[in-house]
Amino acid sequence: MKMERGKRGYLLSVWDRNQRAYVSVLDTADVDRMRVYMETYLGLKPTNEQVVAVMQQVDAAGGQPVYFAWRRHILSNYATFFRVTRDAVPALIRSLQIAALTIVISLSIGGAAGYAFARYRFYGKNALKFSVLFVRIFPGVAIAIPMVIILARLGVYDRPAGLSLLYSVGVIGITVWITASIFMGIPVSLEEAAMVFGATRWQAFFRITLPLAFPGLAAAAMYAFIGAWNETVAAIILTEFNPTFSVVVYQTLLGATGQVNLTAAGGMAMALPAVVFTFFIRRYIHQMWGGVTV
Amino acid sequence: MLTWFHLPRRHTTPLSPYLLVVPVLLYYVAFWVQPVLTILIQSVRDPQTGAWTLNNYLLVLHDPDFRPALWNTFVIVSVSVTLEFVVALALSLLIYRRFWGSGLFFFLMLIPMALPPVATAAIWKTGLTAHGWLNSLLVHAGVLAEGKRIYWLGTPRTPSWQLLALMILVDAWTVIPSVMVILVAGLQNLPKDVIEAGYVFGGTSWRVLRDIILPMLRPTIQTAVVLRLIAAIQIWLIIVLLLGFGRLPVLVERIVYYHEEVRGLDIAPAMTTGYTVIVALIVSLAALLYLYLSGAFEREAA
Repeated sequence: MKMERGKRGYLLSVWDRNQRAYVSVLDTADVDRMRVYMETYLGLKPTNEQVVAVMQQVDAAGGQPVYFAWRRHILSNYATFFRVTRDAVPALIRSLQIAALTIVISLSIGGAAGYAFARYRFYGKNALKFSVLFVRIFPGVAIAIPMVIILARLGVYDRPAGLSLLYSVGVIGITVWITASIFMGIPVSLEEAAMVFGATRWQAFFRITLPLAFPGLAAAAMYAFIGAWNETVAAIILTEFNPTFSVVVYQTLLGATGQVNLTAAGGMAMALPAVVFTFFIRRYIHQMWGGVTV
Repeated sequence: MLTWFHLPRRHTTPLSPYLLVVPVLLYYVAFWVQPVLTILIQSVRDPQTGAWTLNNYLLVLHDPDFRPALWNTFVIVSVSVTLEFVVALALSLLIYRRFWGSGLFFFLMLIPMALPPVATAAIWKTGLTAHGWLNSLLVHAGVLAEGKRIYWLGTPRTPSWQLLALMILVDAWTVIPSVMVILVAGLQNLPKDVIEAGYVFGGTSWRVLRDIILPMLRPTIQTAVVLRLIAAIQIWLIIVLLLGFGRLPVLVERIVYYHEEVRGLDIAPAMTTGYTVIVALIVSLAALLYLYLSGAFEREAA
């Protein structure tokens, strides 16, 4: 950074790496304004005394600019992103709600069908298997457009519940496949043994199969989470005043051309669950994708 | 009689699987069939008068961007599905071999799969601009002279095949992991003794791969490719986020363009539904054709 005498007081310039030159950003004599600017836009946390000290150096230098560098906090771009982007925190909470609801819907409905798929022969089993393909035939964007009316009729338009209802359509099919694979991997004989010892079918499922399936089901839940968390386009169409986190990041990506660092911070905040997800599911890959093929 | 009570009746209750499947069915009817029917009906009605008509489709076919969009989509799908499949297969065979660090390698390779499109776009947008990290990297590596830049995202005069190639590469980076995951799972579930027998009887790696592994892996390959095919035809978001609307028209991009960008236009609703149904038709035909040609239906019948 560079500070020198300006027209209104002290002129602050910041080194721009891309232009390889100093860019003047603020000209003021007000210590508070200078400090607030540094906090808000530069991600620095100076005290008033530190700012005054630099200003005194400028006075002492007599017309020569003073160069100085302050180390930025490593997470400062993130702090700035959440402070500058209106809505980021409520949007984050909404996104988490949507993801949680999507998990509940797809795992309960899809998981039940997945269990039926793994354990029974029934009419329409093939159709159920191919549903993964046919719900993907129509582009998601196109489905979102008539969904506006359907969700409005249900009173969940522009609410987290509405979006999770839409996301579950795509997720349920995959959940059926994944849960079917998982249940296939758990021998029926275990359930039968439990029933021989007097358990009902329900007890056998909840006491024996479900605990054994739990890690795989958690991996399936993370699939649902990522699906809901990442989705952006339908969220743009189906939200008005309550955007999701991905929509907020999308808007900074389109809007703020000069603030690449903020876009990157938002993008990374969005990408974090992806890394956690990957770390968790890698061990369950063959359990999840092993059983069902087209 | 006693045993009848105590032994479980094995899979004889005919009602219970249907009870478990009915919720999915109802869900699909409410939130998939309903919007799809709405689109289908709208696509054959005049948006203003509501009369039955085929004009919406004619409008789409006469759209000057329809042919380029169709061609671009075709090129992207044929090149990227082939490329992604070959690379993903090579990688999954590599991981199947298990080498030192293969676990970490697998983990790192998987990350792009779960990245949100917005983050992918942020990564590549910051990388591919003239001042981006890719050019900086090349300058540091000495490949590019100091002060020189490559305009990755092109200028308005850049020929579209260069943009196509770039989009295919960016898309491949994102998508290869999800193809790889399915293939790795398929490989892990193959019976190991059969493969070992192939080597015992003197097969080379190449022959074991061609005559044992690939035929046994066929259902998995069909699953991975058909899912990929369906998604590839619907590519648009990464293109719009990196290049903006209209520079490299593809089919689904046109849907969004007419619905979001020029929604005031008289023909916008007609174009939106028309394009949607045409895309759905192309996707279904492509998926059916692939499944038919790859023999998935014969296996089903057998």
